Amino acid sequence: MNVVVCHDLTKQYGRSKAIQNMNCQIAENKITGLIGRNGAGKTTLLKIIAGYLHHSSGDIQVFSENPFNNLKISANTIFIDNEMSFSQGLTLNELLETAGSFYPNWNHDLALKLFDYFSFNPNQYHGNLSKGMKSTFNMIVGLAARCPLTIMDEPTSGMDSATRKDFYRALLKEYIAYPRTIILSSHLLDEVEDLLEEVLLIKSGEKCLHLSIDQLKEYAIGVRGKTVNVETWTEKMELISMQEIGANMSYAVIRNDRSIKELEDARQLGLEVTSVSAEDICSYLTSKTKGGIDDVFSRG
Amino acid sequence: MYLAEVKAWDIVKKQYRYKLKSYFGVFTSLIVIQLLAILFSFNGTGSGSGSSNSLQYDFYYYTSDIILIFMMIWAFITAIIITTRAYRYDDFSLVTNRTISQVSNILFLLTASIFAGITVYLSTHLFQILAFYFKDNYSIIVDSLTVTEFVMGMITSILYIFLFACAGYLVGILIQLHKGFLLIIPTVLFGGLILDGIGGDPRFFVNITMFFGEETSFILFFCKIALVSSMLLLASLGISNRMEVRK
Repeated sequence: MNVVVCHDLTKQYGRSKAIQNMNCQIAENKITGLIGRNGAGKTTLLKIIAGYLHHSSGDIQVFSENPFNNLKISANTIFIDNEMSFSQGLTLNELLETAGSFYPNWNHDLALKLFDYFSFNPNQYHGNLSKGMKSTFNMIVGLAARCPLTIMDEPTSGMDSATRKDFYRALLKEYIAYPRTIILSSHLLDEVEDLLEEVLLIKSGEKCLHLSIDQLKEYAIGVRGKTVNVETWTEKMELISMQEIGANMSYAVIRNDRSIKELEDARQLGLEVTSVSAEDICSYLTSKTKGGIDDVFSRG
Repeated sequence: MYLAEVKAWDIVKKQYRYKLKSYFGVFTSLIVIQLLAILFSFNGTGSGSGSSNSLQYDFYYYTSDIILIFMMIWAFITAIIITTRAYRYDDFSLVTNRTISQVSNILFLLTASIFAGITVYLSTHLFQILAFYFKDNYSIIVDSLTVTEFVMGMITSILYIFLFACAGYLVGILIQLHKGFLLIIPTVLFGGLILDGIGGDPRFFVNITMFFGEETSFILFFCKIALVSSMLLLASLGISNRMEVRK
């Protein structure tokens, strides 16, 4: 069953389109990573799914209902981001209790244990927390709410590396114990790739790729060698990226669909064929130019 | 994981309880403002003097008018404050939709108005006692009210305060809809008053005051306030349905 189904989804702010003709399905009880560059429309898409924003055209269904301003979706979805606002009049402890009274599946025991583990002071106020502490607190609320659809938008921003690792572990343990649909957005695929089952890559408001993480890791290969040789070998292929890496040396990234013979040819031309990490594939696929940042600085 | 079904009314109650707890600061400001109002009322809200052959007298009225007016302004401002972004977004970190959020806001404003109305009555007594002790009065005449009169007086105060809260709520929602209203509303209001007064015979403001103030039947007065308040609130509900839930 698909929890989220988007069909030709478009969201417009004035003239600019934040989301364009998005078609995607997010399957139930999987951890999906929403990956994209800054401004690719990740947050907008997540807010539409959470029912905060109204889409401009197309169709979106969450649990087979339109999520916008929908009470059932609100009760079964939790949206965690670092702008999450909590009342200034309640202490952290009271906030946890309040959240517990709202969410039907809330696990207060877990909330308190995590609260203790990350050494929060129960009498503090949410507004006085540091950025990383806020993210950690929001994460506790997100995990303890045990909502069938848990959306986390850049959940680790501001957290230190130890807390991040703890968070990913906590997320995984919770997910295994109580499977639910989790959508996690992040710029840092490296950090989350062990956690994810699926990756939805978006580029300027459009869907770029939707693959399982294993497929993504084998999506492309890199070829390194003398520029002339790289250029002749890749002449008839579609390049994902091409960079100069030194005097007369180049590095090209192409789809991983070459025959054994072609790869043999490459070896004979003195080219080195390497695998490309999932993170690099995503950044090559979403980069605006083929040469990357080097194009900006290249003279001539 | 199964999907939970929630009942709208249950969530309204939970949001209402959450708001009573988290907007507690509103009640603190109420007390401070009442103390201020008592201070302002201390010289009497009206006074006069007279004399006959061998007798010279001054008299002062001590009424709760100023306290009531302060409470009306307080209700107006409180209502605007709870429509601001920070307060609206608080609701959406928890389970809600817009209608529930609004209904619980209105219930909160009603509760706050009732609390304010009751305290207006109580603080009147406080400052009458203070006036008795601290001013050189020779004689104090206190209106004695029957229970019905007392209840009616209190309900009237509550209704006036609630009316202002509703007006403030609509103003707040309009400002949230478009920041331009921050400029338009005062301009229209004060501009209208000035234009109205230019002819030397102001009618607009007077008519509005008379519509409520001159009503002698309590039932009709109640109906008038209920009607106007619900119109203001319906307008707020209608307008807020045009906005995004959370940006």
